[in-house]
Amino acid sequence: MKVAIPRLRGGLTPLIAVIVVLALFPIIGVPSVWLLYLFLFFIYLAMANMWNLLAGYSGLICLCPAAFVGLAGYTLTIMTWLGLPYYVGIIPGGIVAALFAMLISIPVFRLKGIYFAIGTLVLPEILRLVFLLWKPVGGPLDGGGRGYTVHGVAELSHSQVYWFALAIAIASIFLMRYILRSKLGSGLAAIRDSDSTAASCGINVFNLKLYSFVIAAFVTGIAGAIFYIYQGFIEPTSAFSIRWLITIILATVIGGEGTEEGPIVGTIIFVILYFLLARYVGISLIIQGIILVSIMLLAPQGIMGKIRKTRTYRSLLQLATKF
Amino acid sequence: MTQETLLKVNTIDVFHGSFQALWDVSLSVKLGEIVAIIGANGSGKSTLLETISGLVHPAKGSIEFEGKNISALEPFQIVNLGISQVPEGRRIFPDLSVLDNLIIGSYNRKARSERAQNLQRVYQLSPVLEERKNQLAKTLSGGEQQMLAIGRGLMSNPKLMLLDEMSLGLAPILVNELYRVLREIRERGITILFVEQNVRRSLTEADRAYIMEAGRVVLSGSAAELREEEKVKKAYFGA
Amino acid sequence: MTLLADLSTPIVMGILLGGLYALIALGLSLVFGVVKEINVAHGDLVILGSYFGYVAMTIIGIDPILSLIIGMPLLFGLGFAIQKYILNRAFRISMDATLIICFGISIILQNTYQLIWTPFPQGLTTPYALESFSAGPVRFPLTYLLNFIAALVVMLFLREFLRRTYLGRAIRAAAQDRKAAHLMGINTDQVYAFTFAIAMACAAIAGVFLGLTFPFTPTSGMPFLIIALGVVVLGGLGSIVGTFVGGIAFGLAQTLGGHFFGVAAQMLIAYTMVLVVLAVIPRGIFGR
Repeated sequence: MKVAIPRLRGGLTPLIAVIVVLALFPIIGVPSVWLLYLFLFFIYLAMANMWNLLAGYSGLICLCPAAFVGLAGYTLTIMTWLGLPYYVGIIPGGIVAALFAMLISIPVFRLKGIYFAIGTLVLPEILRLVFLLWKPVGGPLDGGGRGYTVHGVAELSHSQVYWFALAIAIASIFLMRYILRSKLGSGLAAIRDSDSTAASCGINVFNLKLYSFVIAAFVTGIAGAIFYIYQGFIEPTSAFSIRWLITIILATVIGGEGTEEGPIVGTIIFVILYFLLARYVGISLIIQGIILVSIMLLAPQGIMGKIRKTRTYRSLLQLATKF
Repeated sequence: MTQETLLKVNTIDVFHGSFQALWDVSLSVKLGEIVAIIGANGSGKSTLLETISGLVHPAKGSIEFEGKNISALEPFQIVNLGISQVPEGRRIFPDLSVLDNLIIGSYNRKARSERAQNLQRVYQLSPVLEERKNQLAKTLSGGEQQMLAIGRGLMSNPKLMLLDEMSLGLAPILVNELYRVLREIRERGITILFVEQNVRRSLTEADRAYIMEAGRVVLSGSAAELREEEKVKKAYFGA
Repeated sequence: MTLLADLSTPIVMGILLGGLYALIALGLSLVFGVVKEINVAHGDLVILGSYFGYVAMTIIGIDPILSLIIGMPLLFGLGFAIQKYILNRAFRISMDATLIICFGISIILQNTYQLIWTPFPQGLTTPYALESFSAGPVRFPLTYLLNFIAALVVMLFLREFLRRTYLGRAIRAAAQDRKAAHLMGINTDQVYAFTFAIAMACAAIAGVFLGLTFPFTPTSGMPFLIIALGVVVLGGLGSIVGTFVGGIAFGLAQTLGGHFFGVAAQMLIAYTMVLVVLAVIPRGIFGR
């Protein structure tokens, strides 16, 4: 029997165990470099999960995650310039991203497939130009190159930022679990297959797409804000850069779009790749591109797609569900 | 003298995804015949034509044309061999002119050299196409579009012409005209296999017919035989 | 009428610039209209044309426009291969796969350029590239005029090709009804490959003229892709003439926007116009 929404069966116990272990890492003295890579892993995982929600489950190929990241980052930064502690800006960052998503959904959702992709592709570019021109805070000498430092984060330890990132990653996993098992989830699965059929079943296509778009924007924004807490500095070209999209697509697609574990597997592989290729800066992106093309041609379902079909996986799964 | 068999479909099964559309379907068409496939919506008649044209491939069984197995060929190769289809709903190219539509009909290599003559023959069959040759195809009426679709099918120099529900949505007087054209086409030596829902009309025009239901051939024979056949009378003529 | 005189420069510049934009967008529009693929690598492929012109100029020593004699067939062949072996296959998998694969190609190209030619801007600085031209009160770079002429020539050539040849008709037919095209004996896989190849040849031309007009870097592809998308949206899919008009409209929006709102804002104005048009007429002005 075909499962309409591929999702991880099995209990929470293994997951909670892993979470506890990860949370303890900074305390038990894991090297900083590891913490950094884990940090990136958590951030990218949250974003990949959200992209998966949109592309894999709602049929929305959203090419504008950079917009959410950048907006949230700037919100956080502005709030720190207004004298607020850094952590206060995280949620508002997500909210601003979510509001933005709501705003543009009106024109952009009218577009079908390809046009939707175009519309979302242009957005980060527009925002980049906006922030190159607009100086939201600071005097004439600040924001040179339109970049801003993030105030009040210089003394932060790696561990503190690490825990924030871990939190959003976990939140994204549980969010995905919850959504996929809810009415929203089945509605999205229907929409992914066919807008018109779903509509004729009484599903409010626009609303559901809106919900997932806004949720994705919110979580992606929060992850972005946390990233900028770590980085301590934001400027338009990298904030709204297409690199965010490349990273996220690669992570999601390698693992397997439309599967629950796909983004997890994919992000792990991506970060490992990133680590391995760190010194070959020029070639690493070329290789990422080649991998992307090869995966889509040879294994469009990603790794999880291939693994699901093997018997080893099925037996492992049965084992896991015993807990 | 027995006529040679032009097309032979041997017990094919055809699937659309996991849904089986044709079960064990066989038929044959001899050179020079007009054969009808009759059935209601969903009986699989269009799928049958699609399979013969190579748009879909049979999961089981084979299709032979002039003795050659064509079941695995691509649609353009099948057109090259001499099978032309006038698809359901006409499917003329709306933003091309009438003339362009006809010219596209002669796209395959062999037909290109005879384009001018074929064009003349099509105009003879249907002078209205020549009148409107520079108009965009979408501006033609339903009947004219169907004529265009048939003319376009003729441009490829076919040996066998497949027509899928050509009378759909057309007034009886136009349908008469279409069947007249069909008869003329047969006069020119082209074999015809057409698909229809209208039983009475089909049995009048065809030499032989196959009746399909739910993806299977349930009856076949000469038109005369079928007209007498009890089951047909009851089911379709309500005797 | 000083207002008109004031505006005459941005208007003329806008129209001429629009020619370049149309030239860049033609290939995209063709592929988009026929194969229904959105080739997000298009901008980078145009830049490939620019770099090719650069190599021709600096290493081989020929004029970039002249080098198109080699450049066009080269990119034609490349395009044919890409569509035939990669994109046709991607198409069978899904539309999303095609989008993502084009994206991957874009990444590969951009970073290869960076590796070979450094991130620093290059330009096709032939002697005539630096000349200006005067027509009445208006003064503009000579290359702007050359771009416009090139765009016009390419557009007319394409239009006639699509109208009069078998392949051209086959391309139009396949764009309108794929299934019927199959039934006409058209090998759509091959037709798509030819379409992409033609688009690439256009991209080669566009790349050279772009390089003559503006400096370019490995990442210049993206901004020009967005411009091209904007042009296609304005002019409507699948219409060659529409793309030309769309290009001019975009160029005008940019120059007039810059004139009224300042140079820094000019791209913003143009992009905003695209979004507005997209929101109001999702099919573009000439679109079907």
